[in-house]
Amino acid sequence: MAGAGFEDVWRREAPHVLAALSRRHGTFADCEDAVQLALVAAAEQWPRDGVPANPAGWLLRVASRRLVDQLRSDVARRAREEKAARLDAAAPAEIPAAGDDMLDLLVLCAHPALTPTSQLALMLRAVAGLTTAEIAAGLFVPESTVAQRISRAKATLKRAGARFAPASPTELPARLLAVRHAISLLYTRAHLAADGPRATDPLLADTAVRLARALVRRAPADPENAGLLALLLLTHARGPARLDQQGDLVPLEQQDRGRWRQELITEGVTLLERTLPVGYVGAFQLRAAIAAVHDEAPDVAATDWPQILALYRMLDRVEPSPATALGLAVATAEVDGPAAGLALLDDLPSSGHRAHAARGHLLARLGRTAQARAEFRRAAELTRSIPEQRYLNRLAAGAPD
Amino acid sequence: MKYVILIHSNPQPWGHPTADYLPEHQALPAAERNRLNKDFEDGFAQVVERGEFVHAEALGAPSTSRLFRWRDGDRVVADGPYAEGKEHFAGFFLIDVETQERAEQIAGLFSGPGETVELRPVMSGGPED
Repeated sequence: MAGAGFEDVWRREAPHVLAALSRRHGTFADCEDAVQLALVAAAEQWPRDGVPANPAGWLLRVASRRLVDQLRSDVARRAREEKAARLDAAAPAEIPAAGDDMLDLLVLCAHPALTPTSQLALMLRAVAGLTTAEIAAGLFVPESTVAQRISRAKATLKRAGARFAPASPTELPARLLAVRHAISLLYTRAHLAADGPRATDPLLADTAVRLARALVRRAPADPENAGLLALLLLTHARGPARLDQQGDLVPLEQQDRGRWRQELITEGVTLLERTLPVGYVGAFQLRAAIAAVHDEAPDVAATDWPQILALYRMLDRVEPSPATALGLAVATAEVDGPAAGLALLDDLPSSGHRAHAARGHLLARLGRTAQARAEFRRAAELTRSIPEQRYLNRLAAGAPD
Repeated sequence: MKYVILIHSNPQPWGHPTADYLPEHQALPAAERNRLNKDFEDGFAQVVERGEFVHAEALGAPSTSRLFRWRDGDRVVADGPYAEGKEHFAGFFLIDVETQERAEQIAGLFSGPGETVELRPVMSGGPED
């Protein structure tokens, strides 16, 4: 039997098993260890004996036994011994009806005591069911580094007294904000080379989209959850056209829009149309709306720039950031001319490589070629992306924009 | 975000950790040397514990290196090091951190009397967000 079949099953079931075990026994770190041990046992036994009829029940039974062993072995802690005795009697055989366990796990992983990279590592293992090796391959760090991040994250949760429990209605909105940022960070990391030669990235990109879908399914009342999913879908849709055959970056203006994934665009736009009129409009919905305007335009010239400009102005009020200021300047240039855009760029407090690249494009349109090339050269020096650097160096050498 | 921390040094004799072989470091009072070493060890233990440490290697003596150059259409191979270099590349650390500020904080741990430390971002295979 193909190995991929087992992996799919336990990747799907592991988060539910972890949630069931944590809900019953509280200590997330111990439960997470126990689930990992159960997965190891499954990796040994399932290929030999076949997938059990009730894989979740099997995993939960084995994980419970491991948890009991773990608690028992800690003889120095009498209280734990007593707990183990109680546990033994009540070893669960069935998975309770799936509630919002996925959401509760996400919320726990996005605990404010954890750094964003730790939130990410924990989320990928506990919620997405990826192995340490898969996470390491996706994030381009060694397995030992990922293992360190996960064990530190668990220790931090323990110290912070974080419990596996539904977040209270008052703290849920703030926690969902952190969950959305972690998923968005995951997508951004995966998107880096999603269509490049690195085979592991599509797994992470798909995982981010899957988590965003799960978030919408579990907490549909929050319009920003739909905004996040729409943003990911509308960005993901352009994947096939982002890099050329040499792996060089193709800017949005030059992408072959026929290669964009139309079904993802339709899904993203439908989501937004359902969500935008509902009430509170947050940053993810606005960024998704901007992406939708780009995705629906047949070409750059036919893009509805006044609408994009209006959306950037709203975004600048809701969540001002250097990236938003840059988008605002670019949209202004499209609506009011390159000089107006350049004036806004001159006011930017800090100028990363993107600001220099944008200045280069606007200067080129004003016929100030020498200055434009200098801006492209500076942008090429500052970027950390090799495809982007090749593209900017081509522009600096005077290649047609 | 990944960064490499490059340790440039000219210990005499060549040896690791480079600080132990640098006259500037040796000239310090023992208590001061111990304090610097402890600061480094504590700080670096935290880097490892936070999952920010990716990889590190110490390099052999510059005198053991071979230099490959191209001259007049031919490959020229010579013994190292560069005759003019006062400092040599002694080793590197690869870290993966959240921010430039954190990378600078960690690189600071490596700088001591007589050492030159260089922090450089690592290029990625894809466009940034």
